[in-house]
Amino acid sequence: MTQSPFAALREQLSDAAAAFAGTPGALSGILSGMVDDVDRALGEQLEIFPVCHHSPGSALAMARRLRDKQPEVIYLELCEDLRPVLDELRNCRLPVSLQAFATELDGFPDAWGPLSVVAPITEASAEYQAIAYALDTPGVELVLVDRSADHVFQWSPQEQPDQPADAVGMEIGDLRPRFAELEEHLLHHGKVRHWSEWWDQYVEQPLAGADYDTYRQVMVLIGSLFRRLGPDDAGRLARDEDRERYMWTRMREHLATSGADPERCLYVCGAFHAASRVEEFGLAAERTEFAITPRTATTWLYGIVPASHSAIEEQFGLAGGSVSIAAATFAKAVSRGGVKPYQLKEHASKRPARARKAASPVRREPLADRLSGFLSRPPVLDELDEAELLGWSVDIVRLARRNGYLASTADAIAVFETSILLAGMRNRARPTPYDFQDAAVTCIEKDTVPGRRDVRRLCEILLGGDRIGEVGYTAMPPLAQDVYDRLAPLGFDLKKRAVHRALLDLNADPALAPCSHLLWILHRLLPDGAVRPIMGSRRLGERSVQESWDLALGHHQRALIELGYEGVTVEQVLEQRLRRRVWDPKATAAVALEAVEDAIVFLGSRRLTEELGARAVELLAAERTVDDAPDVLRGIRRLLAHYRATEPALPDWCERFVTTGYAHYCTLLPSAFVAEDIGVRQVAAMLGFLSSMEGLALSLGCDRAQLELAVRQSHPETPGKVALLWGAQFRLGVLPLAELRERCDELLANPLVIPSFPQYISGFVQALEPAPALTPFVVEVISNAFARLPDEVLLPWLPMLITTLRQEAPELVPVLVREAGRTFPGTLAAVDAWVPPWTARPAPRAEARPVVAGGPVAELLAAHPAAIDAVAALLGCEGGWQPLGQAVPSGSGPAGALLTRHPATVTAVAELLGGGATS
Amino acid sequence: MTDEMLRAPAEVKYAEELDWLESIDDGPKPFSWRLSPRMVRLFVLGSERSDGLDREIPQKWFGDRSFVERSIVTLASDRGLLLIGDPGTGKSWLAELLSAAISRNSTLVVQGTAGTTEDHIKYSWNVSMVIAKGQSRDSMIPSPIMTAMEGGVIGRFEELTRSTSDVQDALISILSEKYVSIPELDDDNIVFAQPGFSIIATANSRDRGVNDLSSALKRRFNFVRIPVVTNKRSEAEIVRFRTVELLRRHRIELELPPTLLDILLQSFADLRAAAASARSDDEKLESALSTAEQIGVLEDAILHSNFFGDRTLRAETLAGSLVGSLARRQPEDLAILNKYWHGVIEPRSKKDGGEWVDFLEGGRQAIATLS
Ligand SMILES: Nc1ncnc2c1ncn2[C@@H]1O[C@H](COP(=O)(O)OP(=O)(O)O)[C@@H](O)[C@H]1O
Ligand SMILES: [Mg+2]
Repeated sequence: MTQSPFAALREQLSDAAAAFAGTPGALSGILSGMVDDVDRALGEQLEIFPVCHHSPGSALAMARRLRDKQPEVIYLELCEDLRPVLDELRNCRLPVSLQAFATELDGFPDAWGPLSVVAPITEASAEYQAIAYALDTPGVELVLVDRSADHVFQWSPQEQPDQPADAVGMEIGDLRPRFAELEEHLLHHGKVRHWSEWWDQYVEQPLAGADYDTYRQVMVLIGSLFRRLGPDDAGRLARDEDRERYMWTRMREHLATSGADPERCLYVCGAFHAASRVEEFGLAAERTEFAITPRTATTWLYGIVPASHSAIEEQFGLAGGSVSIAAATFAKAVSRGGVKPYQLKEHASKRPARARKAASPVRREPLADRLSGFLSRPPVLDELDEAELLGWSVDIVRLARRNGYLASTADAIAVFETSILLAGMRNRARPTPYDFQDAAVTCIEKDTVPGRRDVRRLCEILLGGDRIGEVGYTAMPPLAQDVYDRLAPLGFDLKKRAVHRALLDLNADPALAPCSHLLWILHRLLPDGAVRPIMGSRRLGERSVQESWDLALGHHQRALIELGYEGVTVEQVLEQRLRRRVWDPKATAAVALEAVEDAIVFLGSRRLTEELGARAVELLAAERTVDDAPDVLRGIRRLLAHYRATEPALPDWCERFVTTGYAHYCTLLPSAFVAEDIGVRQVAAMLGFLSSMEGLALSLGCDRAQLELAVRQSHPETPGKVALLWGAQFRLGVLPLAELRERCDELLANPLVIPSFPQYISGFVQALEPAPALTPFVVEVISNAFARLPDEVLLPWLPMLITTLRQEAPELVPVLVREAGRTFPGTLAAVDAWVPPWTARPAPRAEARPVVAGGPVAELLAAHPAAIDAVAALLGCEGGWQPLGQAVPSGSGPAGALLTRHPATVTAVAELLGGGATS
Repeated sequence: MTDEMLRAPAEVKYAEELDWLESIDDGPKPFSWRLSPRMVRLFVLGSERSDGLDREIPQKWFGDRSFVERSIVTLASDRGLLLIGDPGTGKSWLAELLSAAISRNSTLVVQGTAGTTEDHIKYSWNVSMVIAKGQSRDSMIPSPIMTAMEGGVIGRFEELTRSTSDVQDALISILSEKYVSIPELDDDNIVFAQPGFSIIATANSRDRGVNDLSSALKRRFNFVRIPVVTNKRSEAEIVRFRTVELLRRHRIELELPPTLLDILLQSFADLRAAAASARSDDEKLESALSTAEQIGVLEDAILHSNFFGDRTLRAETLAGSLVGSLARRQPEDLAILNKYWHGVIEPRSKKDGGEWVDFLEGGRQAIATLS
């Protein structure tokens, strides 16, 4: 059977063309157009090298072509402004991503920031071959010709309110159907599961032995088809065409200025662009004037960040493991010999590449024939393939066993045979990694996965696994280098992808203090997990002498490198971020106080804290809402405590903050009390501020009358706020405790109010913020509520009480509990005999009479009853005078009853006092 | 002949197609296979234009083609095939198609239950003949599996995990030694498996734990897990395919409006999504919401419309059948359906109108009647 290896591909493509051409007449147009596209690309004077991403075939063809042609100039489809970072690639372990990054936008909507473009580079790629050749061969120039990162965003649809928060991924040679139906069609008819498998079966495998012209024809053909069957996404195609115009313009400019010989140049671009039909295409193009817009004033920074095969697969929607499999295929082809790939030499071993300067370029032969150039060559099955498959089969069984599978040698044989059977059924000359993977799953996977990884995943690992790149020290931005330098005393190689446990005993080894400090800053700036304190803490007024850390900087290299775009030291970055936070239009006083705290803890710069503090005062004075009052209160309390402990005098901004806050909250208090959308907690925090800062505020010239007036003007309606107001009045001394108690008793006695009593309790709890002295009373109110509220009110409300307390007053609950602990007896036995202090106390009214039933005051009043009678009439008191000196019936009243029932205590007291009488 | 059976086995139903495929098949055939592996795949998955056949072969089993490929190559190796998955994912149907294509006989089936004994997979005796003539090959009744061994064809074992471990052990020896001995006989007392013999077993993954397979048995089977179809397009094809067949079988003339099929698929997709995010079994319908379940709902609705309605399939009826088939547990399932009707169908019928309005109404009524 001497069928062309490309027969299947040809059929796939013409089938797809037929299916999507639309009208019948369109098909022949598409097919002849494809032939034209191939002719044009291959006939162009400037040699075009069409590539496809993650195609080992592309990489191999590139290596071969470079060795043959030895071009002097390489034009590469890659953002032109990334050129300077390319030289740093030699200090990295691939895969890595080239990155352009901008935080300070000028000319783009602010909401877009930060802007980031990443272009991943893997070793098994044509572009890496081109880069390595160009950078390591003297006299060869590498020119990036694609639009700059700035243009990427200039050209992206502006109406979009916000850009994707993630980086925009760029791939050289993005060659994939442009709409889902076409891809589905190809997969379905190609009888494969995903795109990478289709590509492998229909393009890579037949290309394995193809010559250069065939390679180019096939690539351009595919690019052309996808282009011609493109969806009606006019915007995307227009952008692609503009890119092509851009690239041709740049190449023309370069040729003109450098005077390079076009015959000695190579233009490396995606197959899609090779099939371009823009008028600017080609050195002989008729139209050449494409206006390249200037970049915006946005500041772009460039660097290299680590990447991984799995991240690339994820970002570009490729099947899991496909990039690794491509890498393995490339490695296999290389080890088979025949091609020597290019590889960047590391700087360390920098030796002047032997002047093997563009030795003897092979001239391109004129193209004989066109599409019929699909070669006819029977597929080859060699021993190497078989040995490799056998090796895989044995290895997967071993790996499976290590992961808990009960696999045996019999399975290895079964996997081997099944792979071959599957490949046969799927029309493949030899089993691909995908066949092998399916066979392994079939023969080894049973009903459950015993360990963490299933057989499919194990195959991916076996076939190369995920490879994670690493950016070398010299390729890092100064900030990252600085961090590594400063952490060197810890004695770890933090560039390694491992988690290091660092123990810092700062007493024993004070020299580690700067490391500890840096770690805290990194902890503040980097994502969770990069540096994680296990033991120790750092807060205002808090410093640990022993700390232990889990350091995983190697895993978070990218985040560290991206910090490097913001400044040259972490301190500088933090300072900028704090400034940016407080000057943000959405900043609040609470945020600013937090920033002040961060500045004190991490940076210790008095100038900065003053600046941030001053901003906090400004923000507070301008605030119209009091939503953040709780945070403001806590923040300023912490800061005051800190300054009182460490400085002889409060800083100026602090004093201004207190006086501003005092006036500010006084003004807002009456409206906050009635506003529906302001919670009890917020008002309580305002009152808390007013009362706990009072002493300081008054000493700084504030007027207490302002507060009294504000409280008097407050007329809340909701039970919670009413209770809170009572608390405030108690604090100001205008509501005595006795009256407060009386009001509560009335509430509890009123069946109409009872259902809302729980809300009063919440209000009282909140009132502890401004009036801590109310604590015993709140315990009393709660106890009374529990004693007297009917179950049908109490039970449904209990969960609510608990959650409200936990959410709204977490810091007040301990106070209450402590007080309750003081009030209630400690043992169960004692509870029986226990009398709550508030009931033991004589009730203010009912028992007042007997108490004042004698003595000089009573005698005086009795002698001149008129005044009292008048007052009593005024108050509406009835009753009248009791005969003076008359004994009060001692058994009356609840207290009396109680004492009668439990006489022991009283008897003992009486004995103590020496009285012999008993009641 | 096809017309006379209530439900013809696949090899009868597709006899003509299989004959034709056999006549054009020039691929290498393993053992005694009637078709080459590629032709088997073609029979099950249907033909493409690119296969270059003179006639179109319809697709009969819908799902990822690699499942079918893996199943076929397993049968060409010396291991048994175990299809495992949720109920109603088409395991038995696939097993039937494969054995029909490979051996032209899909009826050598053992049904696994708690009552299945060793006899069911080996042999038993015809008692009256034994009394009359004594024990001999004539008075022995071979099991379907033994028949498959003798004929070098595929034997099937349904619901393997439901049978007891004794039965499973007997199966191990059949699969590994490939013969069955008959100790009651003095001579001619071993039945050897002819080349081509293999077993396709099915197991319900929801049964796990009833009678877990021993690792010795697991080792003799390749497992192919069949997931619930979640791809709407292939699901629609399955449902349509089966319904057309069903209509033909019941000789019912009835139109299946595409919009109703969409509604059915959509509501199943919704309910599956809900089940996936449920935190406990009480928040989940008891049904596995498989494709077969959908077919069941549609079947019910069609029969109902045909025999009790005006011979037109309406959205109300469909809703009623859906509620009726899925509300198995009271009150849990009904509560879930009620929630679904209020929270999803109601807003959708407001937004999209059309058949959804009737669907809403029908479902409401059905829920009201059941609760
Ligand atoms: N993937 C499928 N392709 C074709 N028909 C299917 C598919 N899944 C389910 N069915 C239909 O559902 C019915 C029940 O499937 P069945 O094979 O009995 O399921 P299982 O054995 O997995 O419980 C079958 O008769 C078949 O018509
Ligand atoms: Mg079944």
